[in-house]
Amino acid sequence: MSIKPNVLVLTGFGLNCDHETAYAFELAGAVATRAHINTVIAGEVSLDDFQILAFGGGFSWGDDHGAGVIQALRLKTNIGDRLLEFVATQKLVIGICNGFQTLVNLGLLPGTDGDYTKRSVALTFNDCGNFRDQWVRLKINPDSPCVFTRGIKTIDLPVRHGEGKFYAQRETMQALADKRQIAMQYAMPDGRLADGVFPHNPNGSLADIAGVCDPTGRIFGLMPHPEAYNHVTNHPDWTRQVETEKRDGIYRKSTVGQGIRLFENAVAYFVSGN
Amino acid sequence: MPQRIEITLKKDLLDAEGESLRLKAKNYFDIDLHQVRAIHMATIDADLTPDQIDTVRTQIFTNPVTQVSSVKPLNVDFDWIIWVGFRPGVRDNPGATAVEALEDLLRVKLKPGEAVYTAKRYCLKGSGVCRRDVEKIAAELLANDIIQQWAVFDESQWDPATGIGIIIPKVILDHQPEVDTLSIDSDETLARLSDERSLSLNPKDIPTIRSYFLKPEVRQRRRQVSLSDPTDVELEYISQARSDHCNHNTFGGRFYYKDLGSGQTETIDSLFKSYIEGPTLALKDKKPWVVSVLWDNAGVGRFDSDHHYVITGETHNSPSNMEAYGGAITGIVGIYRDPMGTGKGARLIMGSYGYCVGPRDYAGDLKPRLHPRRLLDGVIEGVRDGGNKSGIPTPFGQVMFHPGYLGKCLVFVTALGIMPAEIDGEPSDQKTILPGDLAVMLGGRVGKDGIHGVTASSATFSRHTPAGHVQIGDPYTQKKMHDFLLDARDEGLIRFITDNGGGGLSSSVGESALFSNGCDIQLEKVPLKYDGLNQWEIWISESQERMTVAIDPMNLDRFMALSRRHAVESTVIGTYTDTGKLHITYDGATCAYIDLDLLTSAFPKWEFEAVWQPPVLRGLTEPVLGVPGDCAALILDMLERPNICSKEWVCRQYDHEVQGTSVIKPLIGAGRDVPSDAAVIRPVLTSEHGLVFSQALIPMYSAIDAYHMTTCTIDEAVRRAIAVGGDPDHLGGVDNFCWPNIQYDPDKNPDGKHKAAQLVRSCKALKAMCMAYGIPLLSGKDSMYVDGHLPGSYGETHKVSALETLQFSVTGVMADVRRCLSMDCKVPGDRVYLVGITKNELGGSEFYAHLGHVGLNVPVVEPDRFAACYQTMAQAVKNGLLASCHGVYRGGLAVHLGMVAMGGELGMTVDLAKVPAEGVDRDDTLLFSESAGRFIVTVAPHNQAAFEALFDELPVARVGRVTETPQLKIIGIDGQCLAELTVERMKSAWKGPFGGLI
Repeated sequence: MSIKPNVLVLTGFGLNCDHETAYAFELAGAVATRAHINTVIAGEVSLDDFQILAFGGGFSWGDDHGAGVIQALRLKTNIGDRLLEFVATQKLVIGICNGFQTLVNLGLLPGTDGDYTKRSVALTFNDCGNFRDQWVRLKINPDSPCVFTRGIKTIDLPVRHGEGKFYAQRETMQALADKRQIAMQYAMPDGRLADGVFPHNPNGSLADIAGVCDPTGRIFGLMPHPEAYNHVTNHPDWTRQVETEKRDGIYRKSTVGQGIRLFENAVAYFVSGN
Repeated sequence: MPQRIEITLKKDLLDAEGESLRLKAKNYFDIDLHQVRAIHMATIDADLTPDQIDTVRTQIFTNPVTQVSSVKPLNVDFDWIIWVGFRPGVRDNPGATAVEALEDLLRVKLKPGEAVYTAKRYCLKGSGVCRRDVEKIAAELLANDIIQQWAVFDESQWDPATGIGIIIPKVILDHQPEVDTLSIDSDETLARLSDERSLSLNPKDIPTIRSYFLKPEVRQRRRQVSLSDPTDVELEYISQARSDHCNHNTFGGRFYYKDLGSGQTETIDSLFKSYIEGPTLALKDKKPWVVSVLWDNAGVGRFDSDHHYVITGETHNSPSNMEAYGGAITGIVGIYRDPMGTGKGARLIMGSYGYCVGPRDYAGDLKPRLHPRRLLDGVIEGVRDGGNKSGIPTPFGQVMFHPGYLGKCLVFVTALGIMPAEIDGEPSDQKTILPGDLAVMLGGRVGKDGIHGVTASSATFSRHTPAGHVQIGDPYTQKKMHDFLLDARDEGLIRFITDNGGGGLSSSVGESALFSNGCDIQLEKVPLKYDGLNQWEIWISESQERMTVAIDPMNLDRFMALSRRHAVESTVIGTYTDTGKLHITYDGATCAYIDLDLLTSAFPKWEFEAVWQPPVLRGLTEPVLGVPGDCAALILDMLERPNICSKEWVCRQYDHEVQGTSVIKPLIGAGRDVPSDAAVIRPVLTSEHGLVFSQALIPMYSAIDAYHMTTCTIDEAVRRAIAVGGDPDHLGGVDNFCWPNIQYDPDKNPDGKHKAAQLVRSCKALKAMCMAYGIPLLSGKDSMYVDGHLPGSYGETHKVSALETLQFSVTGVMADVRRCLSMDCKVPGDRVYLVGITKNELGGSEFYAHLGHVGLNVPVVEPDRFAACYQTMAQAVKNGLLASCHGVYRGGLAVHLGMVAMGGELGMTVDLAKVPAEGVDRDDTLLFSESAGRFIVTVAPHNQAAFEALFDELPVARVGRVTETPQLKIIGIDGQCLAELTVERMKSAWKGPFGGLI
């Protein structure tokens, strides 16, 4: 294993967070490649060369028939087997926003009982009835096997979506909880769970779910955008924080945003061992 | 055989779409529905087997977790059903992506003419609801009859077996394309033909056009290509190129300006040359960061040694006024093509919006085509989908209400891009075309869309305005094209690029051909949406999402391979030449053969009489008002006014963080709910440099004098940029003029001379401000004819003209984003300072408007004095002396002290006696005057001395301090407490009007 893991960030067909997602991985110490979905399907870019696969945000195929649906279909139809091989080999997959929607439509999430083809959860229209951009506080489940959230207790990240309401049947929800797959949940400013209260839970997600992982913790999907907190100035309160810290004589040198911690965890998984 | 699939959410899931409709019906029309469920429909007009249809239904259209579907009508409980579908030829984005998915899934290729059409039906439950209510919901909330058709069913009319039936809105023209020749035997004949064909030729241009086609040498050369009189293709080309939209005849026109106050007269040969080009060229020499201005699709400035930024802005008023969603999404997606077509192509990094509409609660007698509330909803949603789906952040925008916009709304859209300073070792901002280069059209296909759109926006909107030019933008197709073009650019494949906007190929090819001095175009190669378009229609169609590119023939194969990878359709439609001719053929036969220099030749200038009657001569005076006693109530009511109150619901619908570049967001402060002065982004992720962006819009002052409207608007935009830490030495401007018709006509436009004078004055102010503040105009556009003729109660119509409006945008580069400031006060005990002088300048203010007056004393900008102050402000930022900074804008000091307190969720005690003022002895004047050039800043106690030393020579005073208790306390001149307002009360008032909207 090379020191720096290789990350493949998919692009094309209306995806749009590829630059900052690649940048976030680079900041975290990985080597990121942006590649058009068609080059992967054509085999010009091989999944074998990568340790991490990133499905980023955007509006793939305009999201006209359910967010992430057509992207999932296209990948399943053309490279479904290769994706299953990829996840079977101890590698990491992250799906952010539209990528999360794609992962659940592919069936790579939640992957309960090791079935990576079944659509058993959905990300559907926000209860508020509209696209919404806001920052949320997120509570990390310390018992979750999720690789990406290791060592994080709470984190602030932006959400920007119209279809982020996590929904599943009761049995599925129970199974997710039992397997500790609920890795990330919307919380109140004090860190308690949002308990469905808008806007802290911005979309009406069941059980305040913002992100879930598969039972191994190596596949992770989340609606919030960690790549959009790549710099300290991304945080909505940063000018307030800086001013308060200045009064206390604190000056922070690092400009790296907290969101990068998720990507660092992914890199550490390969560098420091699982 | 066509088949229809119906899809709906499972019963136990909340239907957010249906619920929003239910709420709107209640809130807008007081119609009580207890349930609305939406059913999505896809009609597949293709030769597929039942098995294939079933695969498509389950795999593409149905989410097994949340949805149910059927090829039979779904049985959803209802009292009423509303069906809404597109009219033929209207862009159906979900239908198009369904075709892509279906072809991929089934491994089939649909035959020409086969397609998927989407529609919706809404199942309404409500016991007391009558047909008229349902029809109102259908016509005024769901469908716009310009682009959609709808039908209403009750239980007795609905056949559960067949449902809506099979409706296929397919365009069938059944027409053999043909080229017409138009007679030019006299000016009258050509004028008549121009009228009949909606060519909108200016009568003054007709003799020039005729004389060209009558020239013996021209006729002789035309005979060689079998042409005689002009063809429709040629006249349409000339009409497009000469339209006010493309040629800016108004700004290039001659103005005879007379000032009745001073008695002086003046002839101005071109507003553009005198007041825009002149100062910008002068400033370009002084500002080494100005890279490219005045010729390309957008202006270019230097971001750092490796990158240039690109900026432009325009409006999309007429189409939005008719179909708000379609017009607005087409507008934002359209402006995004301008940076893509600037230099060798820029990547989009940001957009902004500005909406001017009638009062949202308008209940008067006039009947605009779309009620302002509906219009605003549609416009907001159009820009939302256009921006969000393009993956471009929208971190700034403004909404303005005024009855003048009932006649026609304004939809401003602005776009910024970034590009490497060099491509392949060549400057990225430069481009040219060599003879022999191929002309390639790429992106969308061509249909009858937007034909005569340019000429329609150049005419006043009336019942007769052709509605066919309304389109629906397709951000998905454009995003694919954007990604493809950047790849092609970086491989050095693009010699020249421009967008297809107004005028379609006619403009993009016509204008780019000037670079090589000629082109041969084969129109039959242009890919069409459907057969049967005439040649002239192909040539001028404004079908969206298209760019025109010139490439070296050597690069064709690589270009096409990349195009296929990105699933973008690219077609070679001709070759650039150096013949001096635009030569268009169709299947080998010439249909246009024109000297390119015809359009630069001697067309007569447009001429305008401009007569300025100063406000005093027009009878404007200050109102006689006694001092208000209840200042607290007054301030709360001011905070509730539509042009002051919170519009969070708009901001939140826009993705302002995509690309991960957000530094100063549109909503900030402790509650993340107060608007920031400006936006800052960090467009190059590896750099600490920032790009600041702000806009201002204060058309109300035009009721007194458009000169001061202009100076105040520019000053506000600049102050906004300075307030967040912008660098006064690097500010670029974009001017967007929206003016009512200025051509005097005793019956149709009796105040035309006044409106023309206002335009002249505005341009004079623009120049004065740009020179004083050192702002080169990187880009700009004008949109005239902001008038409408609205029906009244008795069938009469009323001409409604907008206020003379200028939107001014400012952008600039800042060295370190971590020096940015936000407007919220931050720490109790901090000093509150007021920078700048407050004068008795309530004319045109929000305060006067609240009390029903206009007044006379409009705020006057002192550009040189202010500019010096802004330099000091920038120094204070650099020295880290400020904890917060906020400009004082519309509504004056009272409103903006409230904003600073609400932003910090802290209190402030402010003593009006200490406010630096001139000629003011009243509390209400101090509180509500809108004098320009002012800031509210808060400063930490330990920075007090340094701050005061820095501002020693300037009109600055410590007026109070920040307090822990979240309460704004204002002490009057006489030392008595004028108002005590908690942040909670202020927020409740400020969020009152629109706080419930999402």
